[in-house]
Amino acid sequence: MATTACFVIVSRNDIPIYEAEVGSAAKREDAAQLHQFILHAALDIVQDLAWTTSAMYLKAIDRFNDLVVSVYVTADIHTRLMLLHDSRNDDGIKSFFQEVHELYIKTLLNPLYLPGSRITSSHFDTKVRALARKYL
Amino acid sequence: MEPDVSIETSSMIRVAVLPIGHVPPVLLRDYHSMLLRHQTIPLSAISSFYTEHQKSPFSNQPWDSGSLRFKFIVGGAPPSPWEDFQSNRKTLAVIGICHCPSSPDLDSVIDQFDSARRAYASALVDRCFAFCPGDSQLEDGSKKGGNLMLFPPADRATQEFHLQTMMQDIAASLLMEFEKWVLKAEPAGTIVKTPLDSQATLNSEEVIKAKKRRLGRAQKTMGDYCLLAGSPVDANAHYTTALELARLTGDFFWYAGALEGNVCALLIDRMGEKDSAVEDEVRFRYSSVISHYRKSFIQEHAQRVSPLTFELEATLKMARFLCRRELAKEVVGYLTSAADGAKSLIDASDRLVLYVEIARLYGTLGYQRKAAFFSRQVAQLYLQQDNRLAAISAMQVLAMTTRAYRVQSRASAEDSPSKKEIGSSLAEGGKMLHQSVVSLFESQWSTLQMVVLREILLSAVRAGDPLAAWGAAARLLRSYYPLITPAGQNGLASALSNSADRLPSGTRCADPALPFIRLYSFPMHPSQMDIVKRNPAREDWWAGAANTGPFIYTPFSKGDANTNTKQELIWIVGEPVQILVELANPCGFDLRVDSIYLAVPSGNFDAFPVTVNLPPNSSKVVTLSGIPTSVGMVTIPGCTVHCFGVITEHLFKDVDNLLLGATQGLVLSDPFRCCGSARLKNISVPNISVVPPLPLLVSRVVGGDGAIILHEGEIHDLWISLANAGTVPVEQAHVSLSGKNQDSVISIASETLNSALPLRPGAEVTLPVTLRAWRHVLADADTAGRSGSGGTVRHSKDGSNPTLLIHYAGPLTNIGDPATNKSAVPPGRRLVVPLQICVLQGLSFVKARLLSMEIPAQVGENLPKPVHIEDSPTEALSSPTKMDRLVKIDPFRGSWGLRFLELELSNPTDVVFEITVSVQLENFSHDHRLSGDRDAAEYGYPKTRIDRDCSARVLIPLEHFKLPVLDDSFFVKDNLPDGANSGRNSSFSERNTKAELNASIKNLISKIKVRWQSGRNSSGELNIKDAIQAALQTSVMDVLLPDPLTFCFRLSRYALEPENSSSHNSPNVQVHSAAAKGSVLAHEMTPMEVVVRNNTKEKIKMSLSITCRDVAGENCVEGTKATVLCSGVLSGINVEVPSLQEIKHSFSLYFLVPGEYTLVAASVIDDANDILRARARTKSSDEPIFCRGPPYHVRVVGTA
Repeated sequence: MATTACFVIVSRNDIPIYEAEVGSAAKREDAAQLHQFILHAALDIVQDLAWTTSAMYLKAIDRFNDLVVSVYVTADIHTRLMLLHDSRNDDGIKSFFQEVHELYIKTLLNPLYLPGSRITSSHFDTKVRALARKYL
Repeated sequence: MEPDVSIETSSMIRVAVLPIGHVPPVLLRDYHSMLLRHQTIPLSAISSFYTEHQKSPFSNQPWDSGSLRFKFIVGGAPPSPWEDFQSNRKTLAVIGICHCPSSPDLDSVIDQFDSARRAYASALVDRCFAFCPGDSQLEDGSKKGGNLMLFPPADRATQEFHLQTMMQDIAASLLMEFEKWVLKAEPAGTIVKTPLDSQATLNSEEVIKAKKRRLGRAQKTMGDYCLLAGSPVDANAHYTTALELARLTGDFFWYAGALEGNVCALLIDRMGEKDSAVEDEVRFRYSSVISHYRKSFIQEHAQRVSPLTFELEATLKMARFLCRRELAKEVVGYLTSAADGAKSLIDASDRLVLYVEIARLYGTLGYQRKAAFFSRQVAQLYLQQDNRLAAISAMQVLAMTTRAYRVQSRASAEDSPSKKEIGSSLAEGGKMLHQSVVSLFESQWSTLQMVVLREILLSAVRAGDPLAAWGAAARLLRSYYPLITPAGQNGLASALSNSADRLPSGTRCADPALPFIRLYSFPMHPSQMDIVKRNPAREDWWAGAANTGPFIYTPFSKGDANTNTKQELIWIVGEPVQILVELANPCGFDLRVDSIYLAVPSGNFDAFPVTVNLPPNSSKVVTLSGIPTSVGMVTIPGCTVHCFGVITEHLFKDVDNLLLGATQGLVLSDPFRCCGSARLKNISVPNISVVPPLPLLVSRVVGGDGAIILHEGEIHDLWISLANAGTVPVEQAHVSLSGKNQDSVISIASETLNSALPLRPGAEVTLPVTLRAWRHVLADADTAGRSGSGGTVRHSKDGSNPTLLIHYAGPLTNIGDPATNKSAVPPGRRLVVPLQICVLQGLSFVKARLLSMEIPAQVGENLPKPVHIEDSPTEALSSPTKMDRLVKIDPFRGSWGLRFLELELSNPTDVVFEITVSVQLENFSHDHRLSGDRDAAEYGYPKTRIDRDCSARVLIPLEHFKLPVLDDSFFVKDNLPDGANSGRNSSFSERNTKAELNASIKNLISKIKVRWQSGRNSSGELNIKDAIQAALQTSVMDVLLPDPLTFCFRLSRYALEPENSSSHNSPNVQVHSAAAKGSVLAHEMTPMEVVVRNNTKEKIKMSLSITCRDVAGENCVEGTKATVLCSGVLSGINVEVPSLQEIKHSFSLYFLVPGEYTLVAASVIDDANDILRARARTKSSDEPIFCRGPPYHVRVVGTA
C-alpha cells in the first residue's frame, strides 16, 4: 500500500464529485490540501492529453516533487479519475482505476443519482477504500 | 537565478536606472516607461555618434540591420558572482534619473550620482538625466557639463526625442567601450573566474589545465561582448573557438555557456525568424547545454555553489523559446523538470524566481490551473518571509490565482461574461437544464478555495490591507460557512470587524458577506390602491383592462402571454412601496445588519434603510420600503447592506443560483433551509415601471370601519367618506358593485360623488349608501351554533359581503408629454370598499295561513256602505287616531267572507321587535262613482310587539282587495284558449294560467308590507312574500273577486210614501227610533226592503227568495208555527237586475215574538253565463247557480 495516495473523481466542469485520502501515511491537513492543489493543477495537462490518445488510462501524466498524478479518463472525457501517489505500481494503479470505474458506472445507474453531483454513497466510499488497500 | 530569462538575454546590455535625489514614484515610473521605448537602438541610428578610434574588432558588424539591446534595471542590482561567466550579467551602464523640482541643488545631484555609480564598477558609461529643470538650473547646469544631462521642459514628444538622442549617444559610447575591451582582451588573455572554480591552491597539472581553459574562457567572453555589440557573426566565430577549446579542456560549464551564446548568436543572426529547422537546431543545442550544465555539477561544491541555477535557467529559456500551445507537452516536460530542480536549490529567493518563471510560462501556455498552483507556491514562499512587503507580494500573487480557483473577488470578476449570462438566463427562465446549472458551479474545489481564501486573508492582514482582508473573509464566510466550525466562523466574524475598524466608514466592498438575502415576495398593490389601465377610447375606461370576450381562457392570447411571462408592476411617483425579502444567517454568531435597503441602480428610487438583528442560525422576513422618485423603469437586482462595517451589494440572482445549486446537490448547503426556513418557489422580479403621480382615494366608513351588525332585512344607511390622499385631482369616478349579495345595496348616491368632481387633493366627499341586510344563511347559523355560544359574530368573515368598486382617474392629458402614444395615458385606479356587514338572525317567520271570519250584519235603517268604504267608525273606540288603524266592521253590513292573513312570527333573538303591517292601496279612478271617496291611502294597523324568545301572530285583513266588478277580464286569458269548452268550466282554477294568477297574487302581495323595528334605529322589512304567496295560492279568487250579487236588507224609511210602488206591504209601518239603532219592535208591521246589486257587467235574471229564521234556525215565516207574519212576496220573486245596478224589493214583516231573527236572501240565477259559472266553480253547465247573501240579524224588542 502506498504511503501517500489521494483519489479524486472530477466530473464535468471540473467539479470534484468524490475525494478520498487513501494513503497509509498519517493524515495531515496541509498535505491533503497540497494533494488537492496538485490534482487540480494536473487537470490542465489532462485536458490536453485526453484528446491525444484513445487509451483510458493515461498513466502518470504529471508530478510535483515526488508525487505523481495518474489519470484515468472515462469514455465521455468529462469524468476523470485522478490518483496522486508516490508509488510506482503501474499495474496496480491501472487495476484500481478500472475497478473504481466500474463502481462509478454502477453509481451512475442509480436513478436517484444526478450525474454531476457529489457521490455521497458510503458504500461507494467503502469500496473505493477497499480497492485502494488491495491495489495500491 | 534571474527573473525573466530567455535565450536572447545573453545579448542584452544591462543598464542600472537609479533615481537620484527624491523622485516621486509616479514620475519615476513615467521616466522609466520613456526609457523602455529605447530598449532596442538600431546600429544605423548611432553611427553619427560613433567614431572609430582604431580598427573595430567587430568586423562583421551589421550596421544596417543590427541593433543594441538594453535591459533597464530600476534601482540597479548588486554585482553577481557570475559576472565573468556571462558578461550580460555585468551592469555596463548607469543612468541616473533626477527630478529637478524636487532636487534643486544640481551640485548635490552630481555628488549623489557620483557616489551611486561608484557601486557599479563594471559600468562603462554613466549619465544622469535631469528632468524638468528650472531656468536657473538650466543656466547652472549647462556650465556644469559632465555627465549631467538636462532635459529642458517641453512637451512629451520633444522630451522623447531628446531622450532618444541621449540613448543613441549612450549606445554609441558603449559600442566604443566594447571595442576597446575586446581589443584589450585578445592579446592579454583576461582572467575570468567563476565561483565554481576551486579556491584551493592548484597543483601544477591543474595550473596547466587552467591556462588552457583560460584561452577558451577568454574566447567565450569576447563572444559575449560581440553579442552585446550586436554582431552575431563575430560572436559566433569566438564561440566556435571557445567551444573547441572548452571541449578539449573538459570545461563543461564554460562549454555550456559558450553553446548558449552560440544559440543566442544564431537567433540574433536569424533576426527572430523561427522556422522549424532553426527550432530543431535550438532544441538540439539547448538539450546539449542543459546536459553539459548538469555534467559540470561537482559534488564537492554542492554545498557552496552549484551550476544548478544555470541548468534551470537554461531549461526555462528553452521552455520560453518553445512556449506555444502546439508544443505544450514538450514545454510541460521542461517545466516539470525545472520544478523538480526547485528542491535542490539552496537559496529561497532562487526558488521564488524559479516558481515565478514557471507560473508565468504555464500562464503563457494557457494552463491557468498550473500557473495558479505555482503562483500559490510563490505566495507561500513570500509568506515564509516575515515582512510586510513580502506579504503584499503574496497577496498580489494570490489575487492572480483567484480566477483559476474561482474565488475571485466580484470586483475583478466583471470580465467573465459567460457566467453572468447564464445567471441572468437562469433568473429569467426559472427552470434550467441540469448541465447549465452545473456550469454555474464550475470547478468548485471547496478545499482549495478555502485554503486560497484563507491565505489571502492571512497575507492581507499581514500586508495591512484591510479591504482585501475583509473581502477574503467575506467570501470565505459566505461561500464556505458549512465547512467552517462555529469557532472558525466567529474568528472570521471578528476578522471582518477588525478589518472594518481600520477602514474609513462608508467603505464599499464588491464581495458580499452575510446575510443571505432572497426575494420573499413582491406585494402587489393593496386592493385599496389598485391600478387599472385606462382605455381612453371607451366611456367605461376601466373595462378595457379586463379580459375581453366571454372566455376565461383564450387560445389566441397564449402566444402573447408567453412573451411576457413576467408580471408587470406599476409604481407611482411619491407613493411608498414595499418589498419583502428574507434574510438568513446560517452562522453561529449573532449578526447585526446595521442597515439594509433596496439597491436600485436606475436611481429613481429612494430606499429606506432598516436595521436587523439575526440570531445564530435564523432567518427573518423583512419589509423593505422606498419611494419611487421619477418616472421610468425600476430594476431591483438586490440590496445594499451595511454589515460588519462595510457596505456591500447583495444580488438576489446570486442567491437564486446558490439555492438552485443546493437543490441539485452541487452546493454544500442551502443557507435558508439550514435556518429552518421553508423552500420558496422561484420569485421572478417583475418589470417595474414608475408612472407619474395618480390620485389616491382613501375610503372610510363614517362611524367606524368595523362590521355593521344588521338583522335580516334591516335597512341601514351608511356614509362612506372618500378623501383624495394623492397629489392629483380625481377627474373621473364611477361606482359599481361586485361580490355577493349585490342586491342588498339599495342605493348608492353616486351623483354625490360625480357632483364633487374634480376632487382636489385633500378634498373629501361623503357618499351615502343604503343597505338592506340579506337573508341570514341557515347553514351558517348551524355551524355557528355548533362552534359555540358567540357564534353570531362569525359571519362577517365569509365572502358574502358586497364590495363597492370605485374606478377613478386623474386628468387625461399628461403633463408635458406631447407624444400621445397609448402608454402615455396615465392609468386609473380602483378603490375597493368592502361593505362589512354582519347579518344576524332576525325575526323568523314560522308560517302563514289564511283565515276567514264571518260576522253577521244587522238590519238597520241605512243601507250598509259598500265593502270598500271604511271611513266611518261604527265601533266604539277610544281615540280616533287609533281607530284608523283598526279593522272596522260595519255592523249593518257585517263581514261575511272576510279573510285574514295570519302570519306567525317568532323572535329567536335577544332584542324586542315591533311589527307594523301596512297595506298600500292604489287609487282606482273608475271606481269613484261606486265607492265615492276611495283613497290611495296606506292602511296601517297597530304595532305588534314580539319579545325575545316569543312568537306572535299578526293578522292582516285582506278586505281591501276585492275588485269592484266581476267581469271576464280576470278570466279572459283563460277563456280565449279554450273557447270551445267555454260552456263547461268544470276545473277552471286548475286551468288558469299560472302566470296570470301569479301576477295578480304578486300584485296583491306587494301591497302588503310587514315592517319591523327594533330599538331606536334598527328597522327593516320582513321578506315573507313567498310565504304569503303560498298561503294565498288556493283562495286568491275569493280574496280578489267580488260575488256576482250582493244582498242587503234594511228597514224601509219610506214605507208610508205612496210612490213606493214596489211595496206590497201595508203602509202603516212606523219607523221607531229604535230602528235606527238596528232594533225592531214586536207586534208591529215592519217594512223592509232587500237590495240586490249586480256586480257583473251583464244583466242577471234570477229568482230571489227571502227567508227569516229564528235563533233555533227554524224558518219562522212559513209553516204552522210561524212566529213572523209577512206581507209581500218572499220567495220566487223573479227579477232582472241590470248590470252594475241594484234593485229593491220591499216587503213587511210582523214579528209576533221578540228575539233574534236572521234574514237571508238567496237567489237562483237563470241562464248563468260563463263568468258566473266560473266564479261559482260549478262542475257542470246545467247545474243551477245559487247565490246566497250574508245573513242579517234583526233584533226584535218588545213584550211578547
